[in-house]
Amino acid sequence: MDIDLAQLRKMHTRLPADLALVMVGRAALALERNNHESGVRVSLDLEGVASGGLLFWPRADLSKIEQHDRNRITEDGAEAVALALAHRHRAWRVIRRMQPGEYADWLLEDSGGGRRQVVALEVSGIDRGSIVARLAEKLAQVAQSIDVDQRWASVVGFEQPTAALHATKRKKRGN
Amino acid sequence: MQQNGKSVETDTLNSLVTGAIWRAEQLEAHGIGSAPQAWSEVSSLEEELAKVISVSESEGRIARRGAVRAALKAGEYARAHALAGSYAAEGAAPGSLKAGLRKILEEDARAMERRFRYAAKQHSLREARDLARRFREAGAFGLAA
Repeated sequence: MDIDLAQLRKMHTRLPADLALVMVGRAALALERNNHESGVRVSLDLEGVASGGLLFWPRADLSKIEQHDRNRITEDGAEAVALALAHRHRAWRVIRRMQPGEYADWLLEDSGGGRRQVVALEVSGIDRGSIVARLAEKLAQVAQSIDVDQRWASVVGFEQPTAALHATKRKKRGN
Repeated sequence: MQQNGKSVETDTLNSLVTGAIWRAEQLEAHGIGSAPQAWSEVSSLEEELAKVISVSESEGRIARRGAVRAALKAGEYARAHALAGSYAAEGAAPGSLKAGLRKILEEDARAMERRFRYAAKQHSLREARDLARRFREAGAFGLAA
């Protein structure tokens, strides 16, 4: 599966243009500060199934990296990759961002399979090291989200480009 | 399903609230003083979403919790309580929404009592907020009356 971050706004038309631009810019910085170039191979873990793909992004200007908060580069960059992956893998589209306290970062819509479903997606990024422990942590967090049909977590690693997208076990819709 | 005009309005509000939450989070993360104003904008947008999306829809319930939560972050306590009261009083409001709104207000009250623990020993948060409301409504001289 190929993921082109330049297409993020086309995938998620409700995402404000300025926000999409910042997120993609930070993803580019997170990848390039780890010495990757656009077109790098990315390891994917989609619902427990391992696969691979290529990740593309518009080139970043590393000379301006100091203008950005280090953690925001990782977190916002991960959000760009996770949202692009969610669209490529499941054709989901962003409805809106969630506030802290809702146990998820994004609310998306799944229009496949007839009935429209709403999906809570919690996202996290890791600059160095494995994503495994963080994924378990984020799945436990998003499992507490209410008023949604599906609960998912995505974790993106930038050292060796990696992205995982997993669902929590099914739970009754909270209403 | 929503009618076309309403759907466009909802989409626009969803985009606006997305941008507003993101800005508020960034300001808060950097400790910038205007974060409460940014949360106030979030609360107003959530309130608009709550007007166009029924409480029977999941997004309507998320917007109602969001309006209250963001009002508290903006320091607009009286407004947060008024919104929570009106949302809980909606005929179709499910028990989970009422419990969720109550939990948001209780968590905020506990956080406030932890922050002002010495003052909290003398006065309850309800008393302090009632005093603040009277002060705001009547002005400094009104309290003496």
